Amino acid sequence: MLLIKTPRDKILSPLQSVCGIVEKRHTLPILSNVLIEKDGEKLTMLATDIEIQIKTHADGAAGADKAAVTVGARKLQDILRSLPDGVEVSLTMEDKRLQVRAGKSRFNLQTLPAEDYPRMAQADQSQAQLELTQRQFKRLLGLVQYAMAQQDIRYYLNGLLLVVTGEEMRVVATDGHRLAFASEELAESQARTEVILPRKTVLELSRLLADNDEALNIRLAPNQAVFRFGDIELVSKLIDGKFPDYERVIPQGHGKIVTVPRQTLLQSLLRAAILTNEKFRGVRLVLAAGSLKIISSNADQEEALEEIEVDYNGEALDIGFNVTYLLDVLNNVSVENVECRFADANSSALITLPDNSRFKYVVMPMRI
Amino acid sequence: MLQPAAPRPRKIIHCDCDCFYAAIEMRDDPSLRGRPVAVGGRPETRGVVATCNYEARRFGVRSAMSSAQALRRCPELIILPPAMEKYRAASQQILAIYRDYTDLVEPLSLDEAYLDVTGAHHFRGSATRIAQDIKARIARTVGITASAGVAPNKFLAKIASDWNKPDGLYVVRPEDADAFVAALSVDKLFGVGRVTAAKLHELGAHTCADLRTWPLVELQRHFGRFGLRLYELCRGIDEREVSPVRVRKSVSVEQTYAVDLPDLAACLAELAPLLEQLAARVRRAGAEGEIHKLFVKLRFADFSRTTAECLGQTLDADQYRALLHTAFSRGGLPVRLLGVGVRLDEGAQAPQLPLFGA
Repeated sequence: MLLIKTPRDKILSPLQSVCGIVEKRHTLPILSNVLIEKDGEKLTMLATDIEIQIKTHADGAAGADKAAVTVGARKLQDILRSLPDGVEVSLTMEDKRLQVRAGKSRFNLQTLPAEDYPRMAQADQSQAQLELTQRQFKRLLGLVQYAMAQQDIRYYLNGLLLVVTGEEMRVVATDGHRLAFASEELAESQARTEVILPRKTVLELSRLLADNDEALNIRLAPNQAVFRFGDIELVSKLIDGKFPDYERVIPQGHGKIVTVPRQTLLQSLLRAAILTNEKFRGVRLVLAAGSLKIISSNADQEEALEEIEVDYNGEALDIGFNVTYLLDVLNNVSVENVECRFADANSSALITLPDNSRFKYVVMPMRI
Repeated sequence: MLQPAAPRPRKIIHCDCDCFYAAIEMRDDPSLRGRPVAVGGRPETRGVVATCNYEARRFGVRSAMSSAQALRRCPELIILPPAMEKYRAASQQILAIYRDYTDLVEPLSLDEAYLDVTGAHHFRGSATRIAQDIKARIARTVGITASAGVAPNKFLAKIASDWNKPDGLYVVRPEDADAFVAALSVDKLFGVGRVTAAKLHELGAHTCADLRTWPLVELQRHFGRFGLRLYELCRGIDEREVSPVRVRKSVSVEQTYAVDLPDLAACLAELAPLLEQLAARVRRAGAEGEIHKLFVKLRFADFSRTTAECLGQTLDADQYRALLHTAFSRGGLPVRLLGVGVRLDEGAQAPQLPLFGA
């Protein structure tokens, strides 16, 4: 039975949307497959890793009948990707095989029954329904996601805290050494809700969201979040845990304030990073009247010194940081200048954007 | 030409309370005296004996023996649950007594410590009198007995304290040390366990005097790095200092299960709560920046044990899963005890400060 016959990209692009989460090796063989379901002219594609499920569809399926099958996601993707641009591709079910045809190419893929494909049950009650643009949320994620922990035993740090409170949405990520916070106004007021989105969900959303003004609908339930945007529906489990109190670690009233051109600081740090200790990656920031020096040295006693002229008249300070944590924030904000606030060499630093209270980055120093 | 003066011999005391936990229990409940008593876990929860008194030892009960086995050897054995708070309080009293004589006190456990009294001025510097005084004060203040050994180094002091247990005191004078060690059975040497002892006996070395006839290269050929240590120990040489601050070398958490974990999947399922406890313990110890290696320890149903470790600076759950795979595949039996831990390297101290305090 013919499922669909259409230009290559009409199948490939929805397939790529769902297959990003498919794990290479899984204990359940069927999870390396993608579920393809035909219902009249609609061809739905669905993939899951049990934690996340992504569904989208291709239009222009053939005929009015129904059919469903699962097939190796990576293989199908690889085949479609290696076919020439714009070629007509057909997917046909024959016995228990899926045949891919394009021009003079033919591929027969083995399948597993669609009935065996696991699907995530959708939660029936929801705590909050949010509506914002894809661009807004993509931007929010971009501002904080790099600060998420990775495979930390404090499993609740391997994700992103999403807080809805009144007319504000906040996102927070931290790995225990630094913390990024960003917020955005919501169109309508909502009951307070807090959820932790898993790291993989956040990275996948970032990849899939478009930089446009089209709508993104977020539905939060006690143990599930559903994101609908464009043709895509992404359902994700949540991390059940207690996220640390982020408000407590955002410092107030740090007195040593200096504004620095972002690019200048970024470039200086990149150069200084070359001569840092490979393991600790420490740099010293030496702040004095009119000057910010960046100093690094490594185990071979090689040294780097960078100096930036700044408008500063406060007390002098000598403080160390993991250069990666500073580069991360500078790489992920797109502004002319950043504002840095310090207290002393053992207290956190706060990096913000001028005239913007919606972004905060807190980083703990290193003892150097 | 002047010869450099021979270094003044050190005066080391090793103090060790006699069946500490059990002694505290007998102190608090005199009706236990004269009866076989052990402190440890219940046999039905697969507990083990932590300490037992001399009456119990007469039946062949030993510490680290499973409580079930101990009861088989001595059916009248009274097994009491450990009351750590009580033991800790007693330990504080005992440590305070030690510290009256010197700051160089190296506690090995709640009831056991080395003291370097070389510079002490009490009793005109007589280490023997100091040891007697310590024993008397422990008996008076804490109400239990201790044994002490006095010797020119840690190794001999430890053997000496064991010489006349319980309530013993044995002194190895510097001039007697050589003869004392020569007559010593090799089994008594620190680091010589059942396996090494058997190997030494097989090679014809029963006393330290026998062992002294062996050239260093031979010892190293048979025992590797431990050969040098054997060479020194059988001559009574032990230069280890009494170090008041014990450097913490590892942090770990382990759990003995009431029912053996049947397979790898069951072990993996138990990993998460252990790792959480480990993370909390590492944080409390302020050791997050000193992590050098990660390890997983298993004890199988047949009591054989194995440890798998890898380099790493962070508590990475995936690494622990991989280590568990490795360790489990070595035994392939149901698992009785599962432990996770980190080895610390002070030198590796990462200077990064944490956002969220302990």
